[in-house]
Amino acid sequence: MPFPMRSFETMPRADVVVIGAGLAGLACAAELAESGARVFLAAKGMATTHWTHGGLDVAAPAGSLTPRVGVRVLAAEAGHPYARVHAEVDGAVEAHRARLGRVGHLLVGSLDSPHTPIPTALGSLRPASILPSAQAAAAAPWADDGLLLIGFAGFRDAWPAYAARNLGAVEWPGGPRRISHAEVVLPGLERLKNLNARSLAVLFDDGAWRAEALGAIRRAVPPGAWRIGLPAVLGIADHARAHADVEEATGHRAFEIPSLPPSVPGVRLFDALRRTILDSGGRVQVGFDVVDVERNGQRIVAVHTEAAARTLRLAADAFVLATGGIGGTGIRGNPDGSLHERVFGLPVEAPPRAAWFSDDPLTPHPLESVGIRVDAELHPLDPAGQVAYENVRVIGSALAGMHYLEQRCGDGVALASAHRAARSLATERLAA
Amino acid sequence: MTFHDAATRDFPLFSTDACIKCNVCNTVCPVSRVTDAFPGPKYVGPQAQRFRGPSGSPRSPDHSVDLCSGCGICTRACPAGVLIAETNNRARAAIVADRGSSIRNRLISDTDLLIRLGSNPLAPLANLGLRSRPLRWIGERVLGIHRRGPLAPFSRRTFGSWWRKRRGATAAPPGADAARTIVYFHGCAVNGFEPDLGRDAVEILERNGFTVIVPRQECCGLPFISNGLYENARRKARANISSLAELARAGYRIVGTSTSCTHALKAEYREMLDLADDDARAVADATWDICELLVDLHDRGELDVELGPIAEPLPYHPPCQLKSHGIGTPAMDLFALVPGLRAVDSDHDCCGAAGTYGLKAERWQIAQDVGAPLFAKVRASGAARAACDSETCRWQIEQSSGVPTVHPITILAESYRRADADRGRTWRRVV
Repeated sequence: MPFPMRSFETMPRADVVVIGAGLAGLACAAELAESGARVFLAAKGMATTHWTHGGLDVAAPAGSLTPRVGVRVLAAEAGHPYARVHAEVDGAVEAHRARLGRVGHLLVGSLDSPHTPIPTALGSLRPASILPSAQAAAAAPWADDGLLLIGFAGFRDAWPAYAARNLGAVEWPGGPRRISHAEVVLPGLERLKNLNARSLAVLFDDGAWRAEALGAIRRAVPPGAWRIGLPAVLGIADHARAHADVEEATGHRAFEIPSLPPSVPGVRLFDALRRTILDSGGRVQVGFDVVDVERNGQRIVAVHTEAAARTLRLAADAFVLATGGIGGTGIRGNPDGSLHERVFGLPVEAPPRAAWFSDDPLTPHPLESVGIRVDAELHPLDPAGQVAYENVRVIGSALAGMHYLEQRCGDGVALASAHRAARSLATERLAA
Repeated sequence: MTFHDAATRDFPLFSTDACIKCNVCNTVCPVSRVTDAFPGPKYVGPQAQRFRGPSGSPRSPDHSVDLCSGCGICTRACPAGVLIAETNNRARAAIVADRGSSIRNRLISDTDLLIRLGSNPLAPLANLGLRSRPLRWIGERVLGIHRRGPLAPFSRRTFGSWWRKRRGATAAPPGADAARTIVYFHGCAVNGFEPDLGRDAVEILERNGFTVIVPRQECCGLPFISNGLYENARRKARANISSLAELARAGYRIVGTSTSCTHALKAEYREMLDLADDDARAVADATWDICELLVDLHDRGELDVELGPIAEPLPYHPPCQLKSHGIGTPAMDLFALVPGLRAVDSDHDCCGAAGTYGLKAERWQIAQDVGAPLFAKVRASGAARAACDSETCRWQIEQSSGVPTVHPITILAESYRRADADRGRTWRRVV
């Protein structure tokens, strides 16, 4: 037994423990902390924020023109999380926008902004409607301006020539008439061998270095009307200013294109949400893996996170499970083909193992949609359809019933379910 | 719990197969934040591990793993549960086993030896040497110890000699109540450099009704572990385990004031040195950080909370080794009990010192750059002092920010004494 029964408890005791530090867990913890609850967010590690583009994929099923329509389409699917929480989407997105705005992280676009194709780092197109301000110019209508993709010499996670070639070959309705690319040698980088998105972003935070870099970028822009796409590495702490500086120095609108992981826009999003939780008096601890649970009938009394030589006991009135699905490792496969939910051992309906495999790698994977079944208040349900734990809520991609990659609904479901859970717990606290 | 979860702490290298190459670790590493010479935890950890062979074959495709400071932030950030820092540490040890170690690394790791040489009535002389610019310059040229590396002055008397003079117990007195008796693990920093911290710790423990015993002990061995000198570290570890195991099994808690030493006893003997027998596990399970213990007492309603006011701002830096305990920031909880104290968490990843890392001539600048935002925050706070639980971090913050930096226990002891003074009484200190 690697974890002795001896445990240690922090003080003060939390009202709510949120488990998981993806978008859902962070947003829920922020809202709870803002409402005055004592919140402790415990996460096994940093997660999906660092792999994503930092904007909001609310809902873009085939044929939907706007996120709002997308939500309506998905809410009509029996068993889809939106069938439960679609009414929260408006409030959740606006709360998220306001929360990020307070820490200087602006989102452009709304639920009624049409899904607009914007370029990815590989030169494919993805539909987007709500974007961080530094990416927003990608979705503005194209007129006479051409697209100039800029890469940085030595940076291996963005290949503008490759992306430009791919973009030239795809059908891009309403896209730019000209696509060009350029490679910029940034000052001092020829001596560096280990450039990644984060190390470049750290450099862009340095005002003096940035001023030199802007000169090099400006010189790489040929004459004419351009809109510039750059790898999303324009600063972490000082990102708003770095982006504005690029536009000012070149005289063109510029937008960031998220590179391969690590995603700098995702890092900024994580930092911003963590900041808002701390500013509201909440606690955020990463590296706190839940390894044990104390139950009393239909209530969870405490969870224990792994600590050196013992466990840390986190007792609370309520618990929010935001650990993700198969992709986020909240749900794991067993050698016999069954699945288990990692924290509370909640029942997970698994498709038969034979159905895990398909000849077409691009069809939605059946395991993507596995998750926890919930009631309207997001209580987890047992196999008989009864509430398994009355003081637990399940949010984000731990919820069953969505193909979040194909439907592009992961962020919207995360925010809407986080909002529902926070409101449901607040009501419960008032009643108590 | 899955097989994978259970296996990793005993076999850190197994965990590297769980890496999904997501790069999260590369976004949090403080060393790769400031130097391009370190490729980042993913590359020197799980990535390079695939190319490391058994003894006799090339142990590493790239020796840049030696630039890892061992802060452990990558391990805690990893969503897949890979023990990255532990993997790096073992990789360094394998390189050292093959290629040997420098005299410098052997010297700065052997704290017990240094204290025997320096902490005695001749300490003022040794300290004169540490303060002498020409001697430090020579030290940098000859030994590779940076002339501005943060070294604390030797104490004239060790904590051990104070304890002997005080006739403090070195073994459990007959009939002792294990639940009310604490085994104090002072570590080499308290012994040779900061004995006052040890006295404050003893005072606080006694004030809270514990009997304190200080059995024979050596350096925990962490400096050897950090420098890849595992055989030397195992000798230290085995000496401590054999001195402490029986007490641990009898239910005595082992409490330390250095989050580095206590983490070595709790985790690193097992994760790095493969010391996982019953004795080692008993010692690990019995070991507590002192702030962790005091918060635990408070949760049980047993902590003396008659604390006097200290009305001042206090920047507090939770050291990396504390974070690896997985217990949050118990010092912040204790600070909240001190009237008037306005403690603020530094919210900075690492001070850079990482034990002996920041002393090395070729690492000093990296360590300074890692800690620079922290030093600026501490200075900008306008506070008269700062707090931190680990000794080498304290010395680094103090030297580089110019702000005196103390252990949280020093603040707490002062607050207790303030309460005594306000009530017109004194805590009887046995000298």
